[in-house]
Amino acid sequence: MRDRLAGLLLAAVVALAPIPAKAQAYTAPRTVDGQPDLQGIWQVRSSPDKDLEKAKGLIVEPKNGKIPYQPAALAQKKQNEKNSASADPLNKCYMPGVPRLNLLAYPLQIFQTADEVAIAYEYIHNWRNVYLKRNKHLEAIDFWQGDSIGHWEGDTLVVDVADLNDQTWFDKAGDFHSDALHVTERYTRTGPDTLRYEATIEDPKTFTMPWKISVDLHRSTQPNARLLEYECHYLADLAAAKKATK
Amino acid sequence: MRNGLLNSLVAAAVSAVLIVAASPAFGQEPPAGGPPGRGAAGRGGRGGRGPALPPPGPVPRAADGHPNMSGYWNAGNNGGAVFEVQKHPIARPGFGAGNGAIVDPPDGMIPYQPWAAEKAKDNFEHHLADEPELHCYMSGLPNQMYRQFGFQILQPAGYVAMNWEFMHSYRIIPTDNRPHALPASTKLFQGDSVGHWEDDTLVVDTTNLNDRTWLDSAGNVHTDQMHVVERFTMVNDRTINYEATMEDPKAFTKPWKIAFPLNRNMQPNYEQMEFACIEGNQDTEHYLESAGGKVKGK
Repeated sequence: MRDRLAGLLLAAVVALAPIPAKAQAYTAPRTVDGQPDLQGIWQVRSSPDKDLEKAKGLIVEPKNGKIPYQPAALAQKKQNEKNSASADPLNKCYMPGVPRLNLLAYPLQIFQTADEVAIAYEYIHNWRNVYLKRNKHLEAIDFWQGDSIGHWEGDTLVVDVADLNDQTWFDKAGDFHSDALHVTERYTRTGPDTLRYEATIEDPKTFTMPWKISVDLHRSTQPNARLLEYECHYLADLAAAKKATK
Repeated sequence: MRNGLLNSLVAAAVSAVLIVAASPAFGQEPPAGGPPGRGAAGRGGRGGRGPALPPPGPVPRAADGHPNMSGYWNAGNNGGAVFEVQKHPIARPGFGAGNGAIVDPPDGMIPYQPWAAEKAKDNFEHHLADEPELHCYMSGLPNQMYRQFGFQILQPAGYVAMNWEFMHSYRIIPTDNRPHALPASTKLFQGDSVGHWEDDTLVVDTTNLNDRTWLDSAGNVHTDQMHVVERFTMVNDRTINYEATMEDPKAFTKPWKIAFPLNRNMQPNYEQMEFACIEGNQDTEHYLESAGGKVKGK
């Protein structure tokens, strides 16, 4: 209980701090391979998916909390926002891309081996492999979830995500990017039940400068916790069938 | 890019071009010692190409002493179970003949109750476009284990996790002796799996399966009362003997069992690619209206 409370307080302090607070007060346990252990079932407490800019404290750079769009891109974002109900790729049950996958109101589970970190998502059974033993991105190919290669910096897992396509959005508010998107993620344990998630987002075709988000993921501490299934397209099919028979 | 286009190709491979898949080349064992490669059966399939490999080595061990099954694997079923899990000795349009994967009962057939046999027949004759995979639903059990493109096993402490290239389906199997903890009313495509080790065999017990999956592409069925017990026995560094026993008091007259090897993908530095499924999915458009699809009948 006390740990929990301390974790909450820490999360609150961290969320308010413009510069990520030092997390060295907590040392993560180790896996059998000696890596910081990030394993568990994690989820954001309050999903910022409605609008990243309106999620308090989420965008930590630039300081004004605004996504630094180039003028033409800003016009496009506004258009997207207007058409969000039909144009948001998530409303077609498409893969959310990075970092949106980590920010949804559904849990994810992290697994670690010596060679890779894998992330399983409850949301439409998405899965990511973060390769720790490869140091070059694949060439001439792009993916909805990108190509993820990772390394450890102290207790932080740093994941370099490239080869992303231009089909995904960042949120329901129409925030978007081009296929020049490059995301650097940082995963750091800040307590027994908290995992700091930071993502630096660069896209020279869309933004005037890199911008950065920071949010805490919280561990599911229920005994025997497991991911369930959120099969968006199956639910959509069910709804369509129901409508058709009316 | 693994996108809708490729998916359509996959659909074509799975449906229209089944004749190719059911030809002798598909069903053959790879040459002795030959690796599963990227051959005619598709990426991660069993091409049998590549240099000869040294003979199999001993079972690798994880830190906890259990067999370490980490790596990439392909279902070594030669009976075309993905097309039809039971014996299908007579070729039908789009479905070549094959022996399936059933080892018990000895006739190789699903011991259906009459209604379920009728339902399966109706699926095959009229509803092939309703195949759950064409709509990007996860395959459920045991179908998932003989789906194409291979899968990866990760074995961190306390878990065996499997992920398939095909539709990024996955299974997460805790091995910490936890009980089934979901209420009986919670139904999942992949069910609730719990595992434990019996010597060198991983035994996986799966409940809470829904009734939305088929057993194969031919429309074989089960209900949400199905209970599956699987046994993964690693016998050398590149072979896992796989068995699964299915019980379903609402659909079958008795339990039945399948068996086939899982063969390690020996390709160095192999990685799975992203398989987008619903993104641009046009699978059902390849099917005639008479089979529930969108192509106009002749």
